[in-house]
Amino acid sequence: MSVEISETGAPVAAPVYKQRGPLYFAWRRFSSNKAAVSGGIVLVILVAMAVFAPLITKTRYDAQDFLGQALAFPSREFWFGIDDLGRDFFTRIVYGARVSLSIGFIAAACSVLIGIPLGAMAGYFGGRADWIIMRIIELFSVVPPLLAAMLLGAITRGGFATIVLIAALFGWVQVCLLVRAQVKAFREKEFVRAAQALGATPWYIIRRHLIPNSVSPIIVGFVLAIPLAMMLEASLSFLGIGVPPPTPSWGQMINTGMNFMFFYWHLAVFPTAALAITVLATTLFGDGLRDALDPTLKGR
Amino acid sequence: MILYILRRLVSIAVTFFVVSVLVFLMMHSVPGGPFDGNDMPLSAAVRAKLMAQLGLDQPLHVQYFNYMAGVLRLDFGVPYQSPGETVIGLLSRAWLPSLVLGGLGVLIGAPIGILLGMAAALKRNSWMDYLASGLATLGLTVPVFVISMGLILIFAVWLNWLPASGWGKPERWILPIIAFAAIPLATYARYTRSAMLDTLNKPFVTVLRAKGLSERRIIFQHVLRNSAIPMVTVFLPMFIGTATGSIFVEAMFRVPGLGSYFVSSIQSRDYPLEMALVLMVTLMFCFAYLISDILYALLNPRIRTGGRR
Repeated sequence: MSVEISETGAPVAAPVYKQRGPLYFAWRRFSSNKAAVSGGIVLVILVAMAVFAPLITKTRYDAQDFLGQALAFPSREFWFGIDDLGRDFFTRIVYGARVSLSIGFIAAACSVLIGIPLGAMAGYFGGRADWIIMRIIELFSVVPPLLAAMLLGAITRGGFATIVLIAALFGWVQVCLLVRAQVKAFREKEFVRAAQALGATPWYIIRRHLIPNSVSPIIVGFVLAIPLAMMLEASLSFLGIGVPPPTPSWGQMINTGMNFMFFYWHLAVFPTAALAITVLATTLFGDGLRDALDPTLKGR
Repeated sequence: MILYILRRLVSIAVTFFVVSVLVFLMMHSVPGGPFDGNDMPLSAAVRAKLMAQLGLDQPLHVQYFNYMAGVLRLDFGVPYQSPGETVIGLLSRAWLPSLVLGGLGVLIGAPIGILLGMAAALKRNSWMDYLASGLATLGLTVPVFVISMGLILIFAVWLNWLPASGWGKPERWILPIIAFAAIPLATYARYTRSAMLDTLNKPFVTVLRAKGLSERRIIFQHVLRNSAIPMVTVFLPMFIGTATGSIFVEAMFRVPGLGSYFVSSIQSRDYPLEMALVLMVTLMFCFAYLISDILYALLNPRIRTGGRR
C-alpha cells in the first residue's frame, strides 16, 4: 500500500490512463491540508524524540546532578533550566514525551480493541445487543469522565498500566460509535446479503467483510483517541494520581511548576508548551486524516 | 411526545440507579477509610466508635439503602470534612463561585463562538476563517489547565494587568471566566461554522438567491434559523458541564468553588459528599440531555413526526 502512495503521490507526473484508487485521493486531500501535514511532521519529530531520548540528552531524568544550581533559569548549558530538585529540565521534558506518547498510543490501541467488537456487534446484530451497548455508552456520557477516572485511580493507586486502562475505558466509546455507524451502513449491502445467503456465520461476515470496510473510521478513531488519552494522563498526573514520580510526566511537572510560576517561570512554561504542542499536533493530524479518508465526515 | 418523555424518565431513573450503585461500590473499594489519616491518629476504640456512629460498621448494602433512603427525602447527610453543616449547605455555598464563573464563561463564550463561526462560514478561507478555526482547535484540544496557566503567565505574571487568583472582587473573575469560556467558544465556533456551511449549500438557498432576496435576509432569516438547531440543543449540557465548576480552572485560580470538593471528597473518603456530588451531576446531565432532546423535537418538525411513528 505504501508503495502505491509514493508512486502516485508524486505531483503532476501520474500517467493519464492510470486508475486512481481511493488511497490516492485520500493522500491528495491529506497533503493539501497544511495544518494536518504540519501536525504530522511535529508528531513524527516528537515520536523520534521519545524513542531516541537517551541519545538526545546524556543526563538521566531522575539524576539530581545539579542540586547546587537548583531552579536555575534556562541557559546555553541547560536549555530549559534546572528544576526544583536539581534535575536538568530539558531531559525531563524529553523523557516526558515518552510517558505521554506511549500512554497515548497504547491506550488508543486498547480503545480500538474494545471498540471494534462492541461497535460491530451493535451495528450488525441491532436489536437487543445494540440496545444494551448503547445504554452502556449512555452511562459513560452522563458520568463526568474525570470523576470516574479519579475514583478508579484512587482505587488502584495510579501507575502506568492503570492510566492506560482508564484511558481505554473512556476512549472506546468514540471508536465503538464510529464502527457501529459504518457497520450499520454496510449491513444491508448486496455483498453482505450474498455472504449470508452462502451461509457465512455472523462473526465471519464481521471479520472478513465488515471490519475491513471500516478501516478508515477505525484509523480515525485510533488517531483521535491518542490526544484524549494524553490529556487524561496529564490531567490525572496534574491532580497527583497519575504516573508516580520520579517518572517524568508533563501533567505532574505543570502541577509543580504552578507553585513556582511567579518567580521561576521556566518550570511552568516548558511542560505547558510541550503538552499543548503535542496534543494540538496529534489532533490536527487526526482531523486531517479523518477529512482525507472520509470527506463526508468533514467538520463534525 | 408524552409517552416518549415518560419512557425517557424511566430510563433516567434506571441510569441514576446504576450510577449510584457503581459509584457507591467504587467509592467503598478505595482502600482506607475517613479516619485513617496520619495527621490525627485515633485510637482503635475511638475510631470504632466514630465508625459506628456514622453507620460505617454496617454491611455495604445496608449502608447503601440507608443513604439512598435519605437521598429520596433530599437528605444527603453530613460531610465528614466539615461536620457543622449538611452536604446540601456545603454544596450551595461552594456552588456560587462555580455558577458565577462557569455560567458567565458560557454566556460570554457561546455568543462570541457563534459570531466567529458565522464570520468564518460566510468568509470562507479568509483570515477570519483561519482565526476562527485556529481558536476552535486550540480551545478543543489544549487542556483547560494549560489555557489557565497561559493566561496567568501572560496577564498576571508578565503584563501584571490582572490579579492571578482568588475570589471576591470582580477583577479577579476575569481570567477564570476567560478560561471557562474557552471550551464553549471553541465548540460553538466549530458547530456554527459547519452548520452554516451545510445550510449554505442547500438548494433552497440558491432558490432564495434566484428570487432576488438580499444576502442579509437570506443569512439572518433563513440560513441562521435553519442551522440554529444544533446550537440550541448543545447549550444546556454544555452549561451544566461548565457551571458545575472545573477542578482545574478552580485549582489554578484558587477559586473556592465546587471543583475542589470533587478531589478532596475522594482523597479524604468523604462518602456522603462524594455520593451527593456524583448523583447531582449525573442527574443534571440526564435532565439536560432530556430537555435538549425535547427542544430538538419542538424545533424540528421532521423529528417530531418521526418520533410519533
